[in-house]
Order: sequence, then structure tokens, then C-alpha cells
Amino acid sequence: MNKYKIVIVENDEDEQFFIKEAFQNVGLFDILAQVSSGNELFDWMQEHPGQRPDVILSDLNMPGKNGYDIIEEIKTTPDYASLPVIITSTSSAKLVIDKCMHLGAADYLVKPDTFIEYVPFARNLHAIIDRLMAKRDE
Amino acid sequence: MLSNSNLLLQGITEALFMLDKDGFIIYSNPASSAITGYTPEELEGKPLSILYTSAEDTIKSEYELSTARKNGKFISEGWKLRKDHTPFWGEMILAPLGSEIGERPGFSCILRDVTERKELEIEIRKSEERYRLMVEGVRDYSIFMLDVNGHILTWNDGGRRITGYSSHEIIGKHFSVFYTAKDLADNKPANELKIAAATGKYDEEGWRVKKNGSMYWSSVVITALFNEQNKLIGFSKVTNDLTERRENEEALRQSEERYRLLVEQVTDYGIFMLDEKGRIISWNEGARRIKGYEASEIIGKYFSIFYPEEDILNGKPPYELRVARSVGKYEEEGWRLRKDGTRFWANVVITAVYNHHNILIGYSKVTRDLTERKQAERELRQSYENYRRIADELKITNQELSYANGELEQFTSIVSHDLQEPIRTIKSFLQLIDMKLDEGQTAELKNYISKSINAANRMKELIHNLLHYSQLSRGDLQLEDVPVDELLQSALQNLRDQIEKSQAEITINNQVDFVSGDRIQLLQLVQNLLSNALKFTNSNQPRIHITCVRENSQVRFSISDNGIGIAEADLNKVFEIFRRLHPKQNYPGTGIGLAICKKIVDRHSGKIWPESKPGKGTTFHFTLNEEAPHDTLHEQV
Repeated sequence: MNKYKIVIVENDEDEQFFIKEAFQNVGLFDILAQVSSGNELFDWMQEHPGQRPDVILSDLNMPGKNGYDIIEEIKTTPDYASLPVIITSTSSAKLVIDKCMHLGAADYLVKPDTFIEYVPFARNLHAIIDRLMAKRDE
Repeated sequence: MLSNSNLLLQGITEALFMLDKDGFIIYSNPASSAITGYTPEELEGKPLSILYTSAEDTIKSEYELSTARKNGKFISEGWKLRKDHTPFWGEMILAPLGSEIGERPGFSCILRDVTERKELEIEIRKSEERYRLMVEGVRDYSIFMLDVNGHILTWNDGGRRITGYSSHEIIGKHFSVFYTAKDLADNKPANELKIAAATGKYDEEGWRVKKNGSMYWSSVVITALFNEQNKLIGFSKVTNDLTERRENEEALRQSEERYRLLVEQVTDYGIFMLDEKGRIISWNEGARRIKGYEASEIIGKYFSIFYPEEDILNGKPPYELRVARSVGKYEEEGWRLRKDGTRFWANVVITAVYNHHNILIGYSKVTRDLTERKQAERELRQSYENYRRIADELKITNQELSYANGELEQFTSIVSHDLQEPIRTIKSFLQLIDMKLDEGQTAELKNYISKSINAANRMKELIHNLLHYSQLSRGDLQLEDVPVDELLQSALQNLRDQIEKSQAEITINNQVDFVSGDRIQLLQLVQNLLSNALKFTNSNQPRIHITCVRENSQVRFSISDNGIGIAEADLNKVFEIFRRLHPKQNYPGTGIGLAICKKIVDRHSGKIWPESKPGKGTTFHFTLNEEAPHDTLHEQV
């Protein structure tokens, strides 16, 4: 099993806590950082140029730079452009999902019903990243 | 005393000579001297041949004398010479005198000077000769003489050319040889002569027959010829081959016929002719249809019959003819009258018509009824205007729909994120509490419950803000003239706590007395902007400057602060609903404030925009009533 290096963007502290717990439990990810907005994400990336994540998992709705801003900035920054951004949000509205995919998100996952159920989410996310990587290596 | 016979000899005006038997003059009377110029003495003893053109021509005189003796008389005409050798035309009668003494008798000679008569005769003959040559030489006309019965007496070159007969073939023939079998059966030639004899002349055009049997269309004039005694002595006949002219005429006639039929049958245009005075002289089907008159009732009438009274009073019909005459054509559109008095909108073209000699012979008038076209144009225009109105309405509807769509999108996003998130948080904590209770752990419960309550409060706040925001979209604006000073003071009053707490320094430069708008909404607008200016600071003392100026007949408010500013990339995000550009621990709020400002400015048909330098401060500008507002805004003003 590939262990993916991941940076997680989530503004809610409680949610951050449960995500971290679940991800660590399933043992499929190496969490490089947990940040609470796009602003923090780009700050971290600048400060840690050697620690390149395989994937960024980001919430959509956040104060400061939100999920949309992150996708746009990643896609328009040559150094980061190939970095897959997977968006996760409470919304299952097609309008919202389409907008993310249109902007260039690698995928979109609806958040689990409650934030204490992140284990199945983490397994599913890993499978999705597998497929993404396989596709990219083709 | 002279004897009577002597008296006679002396007085007579003819020259009288007595000749001896050899022709020598033995007596001459005084008239002889007058005529010949010789005295009686000079003549006496001379031969008569002294008067001849050749005096030596005794042979001729001997012949004449002997002929006179033989026949009892010799009459001759010829040139004689006077003493001065000038010639005169003499009529001479020689007669032998009775022999009393058994000798050969002498002769009497009467000589008359008829030079004048002769010259006249010669003149006439010359003239006749000229005429004859002329007539014979005429090539285009056949000119010949007929005797009283119609037999051809003379012929000319024209006759030969036209009929093909040469003079020897035709002279003596009856002129009926030129007539067709039908004309002969009708006894036409004889009738023509009869008419010519009775009236002096007969003329006609008709078919005649050539020598080779072919026909030619001929113009014929037969003139009766009478002598001085008024006795018919024959006829002259002049004919002309008009076949070519007739063919041309026929072609012209057919062409004219075609045009006439064409014009008569045209139904969409009234086409008719006016004489030079403006009277109608022709009429076509189109004219009948358009104007309602039959040809029989309109021909001869003045064309002014088609004009409304006002035009007639203004002298329009003659004016139009004048224009057509002077520039060749008159064209216009205008109302005309039908027979039943109804009006129609006519396109009229009047053209002056001239004959070959460039003399005005009348006018052609072409009239078209444009009523239907005008109607159609009007309908088209109306329908165009309708479509334009519909298009305008659609555009507005589209804008409204697009706006509504944007709102809906925003709403979807709000419901699916902003409102769902707190519920999910509450549910998550309730589940945790449930789990902890199952496990008998109670340490964290209080914390979880507290977090749930926070989430519920946040939810309540969001719903409240959302309702407030959506309220702005509904209902009519209560427009009034709002005093700007009062508006600003009210806003500052409402924010008094915040101002005092931050010890903000606020300056105002207001140059406007009133703005038109909804008092409550404008207050909310100014208050939100001031509140933001107070909030987004780097814990420096806020310095806020408010200006209100009239620019290009528009009122512009500007609220400047010395706060944190807005990154250029975020300038267009500040008005998004529930959008917070900063983490909430630094700057609390739901992110509705500027969305509300934007909504209010939109409803007041204005613009709102920020100018900012990050770290130096931000200025929010807004204008009101920039364009004619849709909605009910206008009506209430």
C-alpha cells in the first residue's frame, strides 16, 4: 500500500482533530501539515519547499482564501500546477461540485455526515488517489 | 387719188410682193419695207431669195415657186433675213397670179413676221420637253397619262421600277392591268375614272399588282385633265409604292397595339394619358381598379377629379403639370380620391409627352395605390416595435433571471455550506456525546454541549442575516429626499459604542444636502461601511474620513480608513455573501455586511467599489441613482 503525503486544509478545529485521528488510524497517509485556510497553506508551502505533498485535501468554505481560491492559485502557479487538489465539503450541490471541477479540482468528496466518521472517508480517499496516480503515470 | 385697191396695198400690215414669172420682185408694199428693212427701190428687180437665209439658195426658191404654180399655193414657215441680216420667223404664202397675156404667170407673195408667236411656241415646246424629261426621269413615282378611256399614253422610269413594265410593254394597255382580280370584279378602275372625271381627282391607298404578279401597297392619285374647252382629254395617274412604309406602319401599329394592350391590362398601376390641358384621354384596368371609374365615365374629364378639395384649392393639379412640363417629370406621394370618395395613398408620376417635332402633346400619368403597402409598412413597423419592446422586456427579464440565477446559485451555496455546516457540527457533537455516555465518560460532555450551542447560535445568526439580506430584495423602496448630514449622524450615533471603544477619529466633508433613496437602507449602507472601517484595523487608532460630493450630477459617497486594506486579488470578492477574507478569530462576523451594501446600492441603481492599498487603508466609494432604475423606483419619484 502506497502511503500518500498529504496536506489538509480545514478551518474548523474540531473537524481538524477528528480528521487527523481517522487518517492516522487507517495508516494510509502521511500528514505533512494541517492548516486552517488557503493563506496558511501557501505560507506553509513556501516555508517548506522540500516537503512536497502528493495531494492537497481542502475544505471549500473557509475565511481567507477558500477552496476555490486554492484551486485557482495552485493551477496558476507553475511550481504547483501538477499538484492534485481534492476538495471536500458538506455540500452535495451539483452547482458547487461542477464549479470546483471546472476550476481544476482533481476530485470532489462530500464530507461524511458527522466528523467522527472519517475512517471510511480516508480509505475511499486513498483509493481515489491511487486511481489518480495510476492515470497520471500512464 | 389712189384707187381702192391701191389703198389696200398701202395700208395692209403684211408684206405683199408681186413676183414675175422667175420670182423677181416687181412690186412691194410699204409693209414689206417695214418688215424687211429694204426700200421698195432696193427690192425691185431682186429675186425673192434676197430674203432667204442663204441668198444663193435659188434651188429652194425655184422649188417653192414651182410647187406654188403646181398646187396653186405654197405655204411655208421659216427663217428669213432682213436687210441688216437679223433673222425673223416668217410665214410665207406663195400663189400664182392669173395669166392674162398667155405668158407664164407671176406670183403673189404674202410674208408675215411671226417671230414672236414662234418664240412662244418654242418656249412652250421647250417647257413641255422639260416636263416630259422630268416626269420620265422620276424614279420613285410612277407618273403616266391615260386617255379618256383609261389606256396608258405615257410611261416613266418610276412606273417601270414600281410595276416592272417597260414603256413599250405598257403603253396602249388599259390601266386596269394594275388591279387585283377582286378590284376588277368590283369594276374599280372604271369607277375611279368616273370619280376623277366628276370631281377632278381620285385618290386612295390600296393593293396593286406588278408585272410579275406580286402585290404592292400603292398610293394612287388620278387627276382628270381638261382642255381649254373644258373637255375631258384624259387622266394623269401618279402612284407610289408604299409597301415598305406600310410594313413599317403595320409594325408600328402592331407595336403600339401591343403596348396599348399591355398598358390597358396592367392592373396594379393606373396608367393613363392626359392631353396638354390635363384632360384624361386614355384609361387602363389598373386605373379602373384603383380609382373606381370606368373608362367611359372618366375620359374627357380633368384629372383634378382625383384630388382632395384642399389640393384643388391650392392649385396642385396644374402645378404638377407645370413641373412635369418644365423638368419632364413630376413625382410624389399623396392622398388621392376614388370615385366613391374614399382616400388612397398614391405614388404618382406624371411625365410630359412630346411628339417627333418636340411639341408637347400631353402627359402620361402612372398612379400606384400604396395604401396597402403603407399599411403593411405601418404594421411591419408596429410589429418591429412590438418585437423590440418584447426584446427589451426579454432583456430585462433575462437580466432579472440572470440576477435571480446568481442569487439562486448563491443561495444554493449558502444552504449547502453555511447553513449545513453548523447543523453537521451540532450533529457530530451530539453523536460524540452519545458515544461518551455509552462509554460512561463525562469529562468532555460539557465542552461538547457548549460547542453545540455555539454552532446553534451561529446558525441562528446566519439565518437572521440571510433573512435580512433577502428582505432587501423584496418590497418597494420607500424613496424620499434624505438629508445627508442627518444620514451620516444617525449612522455614527448607531455605532457610538464601537467608535468610543476604538477611539476612532472621524472627519466629514459633506457638500450635498439631500439624496433620494430609502432612508433605512441608506442608513444600513453607510453604517455597514463605517463599521467595517472601524473593524479592520491593525489595532491602530482608526482614522475615518467621510466625503459626500456631487460629481457630474451624481452624488458620490466615499468612506476612507487607515485599516488593513484589501489585497488586490480579493477586491472583487469582498461583496460575496458570507465571504470572510480573514480568519474569524481576527475579525469576527458572518461576511454579510458588504453583501448587504452591494445589494442596497444595486437597488438604488448605483455602483460601489473599493480602492485599497494593503496595510495603508481602504476607501469604499458608492454612487446612487446612476441610471433610470427599473422596478417601481421611478414611479415613486
